[in-house]
Amino acid sequence: MRDQLEAVRGEALRAVADAADLQSLETARVHYLGRKGVLTNILRNVSEAPEEERPVLGKTANEIKKAVVSAIEERKQALEAKVLEDQAEQDRADLTLPGRRPSFGHKHPISQVIEEITDIFAGLGFRVATGPDIETEYYNFDSLNTPADHPARDLHDTFFVKPGVVLRTHTSPVQMRVMEQTAPPVAVIVPGRTFRVDADASHSPMFHQVEGLWVDKGVTFAELKGALMLFSHAFFGKDTEVRFRPHYFPFTEPSAEMDISCTVCKGQGCRVCKHLGWLEILGCGMVHPEVFKYANYDSETYTGFAFGMGVDRMAMLKHSIDSIHHLYENDVRFLEQF
Amino acid sequence: MRVSLNWLREFVDIDLGAAELAHHLTMLGLEIESVHVPGEELENIAVGEITSIEPHPNADKLVVCKTDVGEGEPLQIICGADNMKVGDKVPTAKVGGRLPGGFDIARRKMRGVESHGMMCSERELGVGEDQGGLLILAPDAPVGADAVEHLGLDDVFLEIEVTPNRGDWAGVIGIARELSASLGASLRQPYRGPSTEGNPPVTGLSSVTIDAPAHCPRYLARVALNAAVKPAPLWMRSRLTGAGLRSINNVVDITNYVLLETGHPLHAFDLDTLAERRVVVRLAEEGETLVTLDGEKRKLDRDTLVIADAREPIAVAGVMGGEPTEVGENTRNIFLESAYFNPKSIRRSARALGMATEASQRFQRGADPEMAAHALERAAALLHELAGAQIAHGVLDEYPKPVERPEVTLRYTRTNDLLGTEIPPSKQTRFITSLGFTSLEETSTDARFRAPSWRHDVSQEADLIEEIARLYNYGEIPVALPRVSRTETEFAPQDRRIRRLRGFLVGLGLTECLHMSFSSERQTEKAGLNGRALRFVKLLNPLSENMAAMRTSLIPGMLGHAAHNINHGRSTLRSFEIGPVYFPAPNETDLPQQTQRVVFLLTGNRADRHWSAQPAPVDIYDIKGLVEALFASLRLDPSVTEARHSAYTPGQCGEVRLNDTVVGAFGRVAPHVLKAFDIEQPVYLAELQLDALLAHEPPAPQFQKIPAHPPSWRDLAVLAPVDTPAGAVVQAAKEAGGKILRDVQLFDIYKGRQVPSGKKSLALNLVFQAQDRTLTDKETDKAFQKILHRLHKDFGAELR
Ligand SMILES: [Zn+2]
Repeated sequence: MRDQLEAVRGEALRAVADAADLQSLETARVHYLGRKGVLTNILRNVSEAPEEERPVLGKTANEIKKAVVSAIEERKQALEAKVLEDQAEQDRADLTLPGRRPSFGHKHPISQVIEEITDIFAGLGFRVATGPDIETEYYNFDSLNTPADHPARDLHDTFFVKPGVVLRTHTSPVQMRVMEQTAPPVAVIVPGRTFRVDADASHSPMFHQVEGLWVDKGVTFAELKGALMLFSHAFFGKDTEVRFRPHYFPFTEPSAEMDISCTVCKGQGCRVCKHLGWLEILGCGMVHPEVFKYANYDSETYTGFAFGMGVDRMAMLKHSIDSIHHLYENDVRFLEQF
Repeated sequence: MRVSLNWLREFVDIDLGAAELAHHLTMLGLEIESVHVPGEELENIAVGEITSIEPHPNADKLVVCKTDVGEGEPLQIICGADNMKVGDKVPTAKVGGRLPGGFDIARRKMRGVESHGMMCSERELGVGEDQGGLLILAPDAPVGADAVEHLGLDDVFLEIEVTPNRGDWAGVIGIARELSASLGASLRQPYRGPSTEGNPPVTGLSSVTIDAPAHCPRYLARVALNAAVKPAPLWMRSRLTGAGLRSINNVVDITNYVLLETGHPLHAFDLDTLAERRVVVRLAEEGETLVTLDGEKRKLDRDTLVIADAREPIAVAGVMGGEPTEVGENTRNIFLESAYFNPKSIRRSARALGMATEASQRFQRGADPEMAAHALERAAALLHELAGAQIAHGVLDEYPKPVERPEVTLRYTRTNDLLGTEIPPSKQTRFITSLGFTSLEETSTDARFRAPSWRHDVSQEADLIEEIARLYNYGEIPVALPRVSRTETEFAPQDRRIRRLRGFLVGLGLTECLHMSFSSERQTEKAGLNGRALRFVKLLNPLSENMAAMRTSLIPGMLGHAAHNINHGRSTLRSFEIGPVYFPAPNETDLPQQTQRVVFLLTGNRADRHWSAQPAPVDIYDIKGLVEALFASLRLDPSVTEARHSAYTPGQCGEVRLNDTVVGAFGRVAPHVLKAFDIEQPVYLAELQLDALLAHEPPAPQFQKIPAHPPSWRDLAVLAPVDTPAGAVVQAAKEAGGKILRDVQLFDIYKGRQVPSGKKSLALNLVFQAQDRTLTDKETDKAFQKILHRLHKDFGAELR
């Protein structure tokens, strides 16, 4: 019986080791350890062996059973790992294939620039205001200290709907509408469509402006400079140089134009800046006392600044767009670049 | 306007280089657009003296000259011109020299004879148009001197943008005056009037009457006798050319030269052509006409100021002279006008006649009544000097009521309060007076000034503060952080929501378009639109027929967008636009109505091409889905009904309502519309009234308890007549299911072989759930039966 036991041990361990898959392993387990298995039978027959041999036989038989059970367990883990590995090999993805990307659209660059400009000024405390595209001459010109016979008011620049009603030539009329609507202090940023009878390589009859107005007690030209420098650094980058030089607008006094160092050549001179190294970005100034008169604001108590900038030009500079006409063609090969 | 640096230097000393000067002027408010140096391209050109002229042995049209350029032996130069003689001084480009256009002078052989340089014409030097022959220099030109310097070609021209408020900057003297103030250099007055002693008195030769003093406050004139009309000298011509003006004859050139120098327009009449040899300044009479210098016959109206002789108008005052009284070759006696006209009057005339001249633009901005006198003296002196004219003694000067000069008070603290500076009072006063203002009164707190005759733009304190800021230099004004106190009023409450919506639509895969606000009746009809969409706000002065009106719909623009991109090979488009449309106001006196709309456009495939899936074309349910998503994002619940719409295909068009108000439509674009736009593939559009949508702002969502008890699901498949609207079935099921029916999803529709003809199968997934308990089978069975019963009753539906 002893010999028989030893033979079974060798045989069983070999069968476990040889099992090529989980199924043959199970067959081997049933063959040796099943209810009618070889080892089970031997264990059952230990009681029939001579009394003096029983303890040794029983011990040996149990040892063998233990060894076989653990061999099966070990083999099972190995086989299971192999199954997983095979499966993984079968399921391997080709990560060079493009993913299933949800399609996303593109905001028009004009919208993006307007959002960026208004965000920067919102951070300074300005609120967005809007006004009608079709305006009265009163709001577009007269109330901005530009009476009918003013040289700044040129007939062929303005689209007329009827006498006294125009397509607004700038976003400035919203200044007056806002001041009529609320008492100072007031700080608004006004994006919108603007129109001029002007169509050539560098002009579009419709374009966009953003207007800003801040009126309060004690607003200074120094703060106008501060606000617009802050804006320029936020929009064009920290290294951008800014300069203010005198200019003329009927609705501000003193008036200024702001230049930034050319974004293309960094001030060295190039075609974009006409070799001057500077790019004109916006017009600005301290609100003219006559304008306050129209708004019924007391120009002795309150001062303010206003500015206006061309969104199209800003977008073109920011994204190196070479013609304003791209902005209104709505060619998706253009729009998808932004 | 173009200004010569050498010319400026006649009036003020300038120690700055061209670039520095350009920057200095720019920082004063005289924006420099460009700097032009005509002599830049000229190198190694000397004043030469021709010492001999011999025929060329091998060419009839060439001669062999010897020209002395002050360097030992005269140079042998072959020349094709024939206007020179021995002893003439000519500009001579030496070997190694250079002419405009990068033309290098080298030693070369011409028809077998060596040539060691080139004698030049005006045109070859780039100083004038004359190419008739060599440019003959003055007899006293020093041989061997630099011809560029001698000709004044070492000059620098600055192209200056003059703002409309500063008429006084439209002349060399005005700019010199500004430089004198800012550089602290004194202004020179180098020129005197003509000497007229012993000449006949002007009063016996002509007279001036002003009949319209409001339009013409001052009118001055002089008379020049026996002038010789001929070409002006080179120095004058080259300055005119440099400024971009054409040379005509010495008399006209003198008026132009003085215009450039003083900024004041003058006009010269041929005195002998004036009826009764006298001038009347008056308004035109009805029916009067005048042939102006440009050859046009002008009809004058009663508001147009004219210069007339005893009989008829001879010039449109301040705008343009008349042809019959023009100074020509045979003119001997000249009536020279220098006037100060009312800017508004000239602006009106120029507009009414559609004319914009050098003169009218200057008068419109406001001329200087004192400069009028100075300009007249300067021109008369030049007429004497360059045309040999005898200037009649005395000036005709009608100035009934001197133009008032504004007086303005400046508070020193106000300057610093407005600018954020600390400029001391003495400095403020100095700045103002350096600009020609007269100080009338000064106290410790303020000062009172009278503006000079050339400053019409200054009328109040803020104007003086700007002058101080300019001379102080904008760059020196400190920079301060603004302390904005936030405004309470919300001026554009919808702006943030529109912006969020734009982001949402982009997230849905739509690309934003932006079309101009213009449209036309033709474009709109082409898009199949009618009714209200054809009621336009029209423009009185449109740029073109296609842009004659303001758009009434976003659809025409989007169809153009589709056509353009499909044409360029992009057949799949998913686009949107948010923007205004415009309609006439119901009340004539109101401004037109402007409202925001949103439009979607889908065409081509539902998704981009991908290796894992077949491309599927978009259909009506894609566009409807976008509309649903838009409403869902705004937390609004629209209803959709089938509709007929001229832009859309029948049976493929829905009308969208919000609270029973139509807020838009969507559908498949009608075939005739596609054809009109040359589009050969289906296009789906939706246009919605965004303002109407945004007018509803649902309250913030309120939290609903998440059910603690599990739902139970039941599927219900029914057969119903084939034309039964699925939406109605779902709606009826929802109503019949009662409180425990949480949701109904239609998950299958089937028509075909496995259902009887005239029927379709609708499969609904019903979700039952109660907040407070797990539902029993009995409860859900009961609700299920109720639903089935209702569907049978309403639609004749049978359980499948
Ligand atoms: Zn540049």
